[in-house]
Amino acid sequence: MKEDILNTLRQQDNAIREALRQEEAELPKMPADLNARLMQRVEQEPRKATVRRLWPWVAAACVAGFMAVFLMPPKDTVPALTMQKTSPTLPQYGKGEVSSEVSKVEEPVVAKVETKEVSQRTPKAKKVRNTQKNLMTSTPQETEVCNDLAIVQENEAVTPLPSGEGQGGGSAKATVVLTERDIPITRPENYKYTPEELALLRKQADEAYLKWVELELEISKNNLQQTAQK
Amino acid sequence: MTETDKINLIQGLRKQSPKAQQQALDRYGRDVFALVARLVTGTENVEEVYQDVFIKVFRYIDRYNEEKSSLRTWISRIAYNESITYLRHKSEPVVYYEDRNGEAEKLSDAEVDETFGQANAETVQLIRAALKHLPPDERAIVTMFYYEEMSLKEIAFVTESIPTTVASKLSRIRKKLYRIIKMLQS
Repeated sequence: MKEDILNTLRQQDNAIREALRQEEAELPKMPADLNARLMQRVEQEPRKATVRRLWPWVAAACVAGFMAVFLMPPKDTVPALTMQKTSPTLPQYGKGEVSSEVSKVEEPVVAKVETKEVSQRTPKAKKVRNTQKNLMTSTPQETEVCNDLAIVQENEAVTPLPSGEGQGGGSAKATVVLTERDIPITRPENYKYTPEELALLRKQADEAYLKWVELELEISKNNLQQTAQK
Repeated sequence: MTETDKINLIQGLRKQSPKAQQQALDRYGRDVFALVARLVTGTENVEEVYQDVFIKVFRYIDRYNEEKSSLRTWISRIAYNESITYLRHKSEPVVYYEDRNGEAEKLSDAEVDETFGQANAETVQLIRAALKHLPPDERAIVTMFYYEEMSLKEIAFVTESIPTTVASKLSRIRKKLYRIIKMLQS
């Protein structure tokens, strides 16, 4: 209804229409080369858009690359991992069969340890630790195995087996009692430096400090000389 | 331009075909330039806004819905919005007549109709002077209605409004123009 009234007014308002017509005639004219300039700009725009579309993917790829570099296990653990993957998962342990299961799983490592004397066990234990450290960085399934081992070893540490039982059986080999210290990830103190390493670090720090002091002295001397020259 | 040509043009624009883009510029360029020039002052500014309008048209052509409006109206909407956005961001302050007391509303329709019905030189010059005192958006609505002869629905689409609001605005602007003319005469 209102539109009809307005349409009628549009026809009647001659003065407004004439004023607008004159205004339009005085508007700036469109430059002849404007469309050509615009087309040039349009041709450049898709390149920008492509760059804009590409950069998130490039950034994501970079992040993924960094993550892969930092999270991937070191090369020397790969054989250990492949070896561990072939071994089956441990079954549920009964209290009686705990020690024999441990000896089965740790067979390749334990074989080396048991032949040595007690005094020589410490370095060998390190070997075991390293292997287990590598294992802990592997798949969740393998991590479970290690955790189970830790529990088993803990149990053994609390209630040591009688000496006859460990050495008696022909097929049952002597079990190695591993302490919790042998599992490095669960015990941060295992990452502590050896005294030799600590001594070396201290020595290096002292040397670095002395070099820094010498350098500072040289700078001061140089500054003094320059001031004196001025 | 036949319906087939229009469909081909839209399809070409959707495919980002340079030929179709050139065709759209030839077809709608002048109208868009005029619409922008009505709102924005300065040839350089008009050219800048004009280019931005068509860059948007080519980029967002996939959002165009044939069922809602014609391509021309859709482009006009982009041009109108781009010009208003430009004016808002422009640092220069612009002064327009504002009918704060609502005095224009008190004027009788008969009086207004009579003045605008006479297309004598004096009245036309007064209307031209009065148009300069209107805010750009109101001037654009008047031009779209009287000069481009767009329907209320089309104007509502361009200004992102509804036809009844546009109708009310037009009635108010007419009276406001008359009020400014009276002020200029006095």
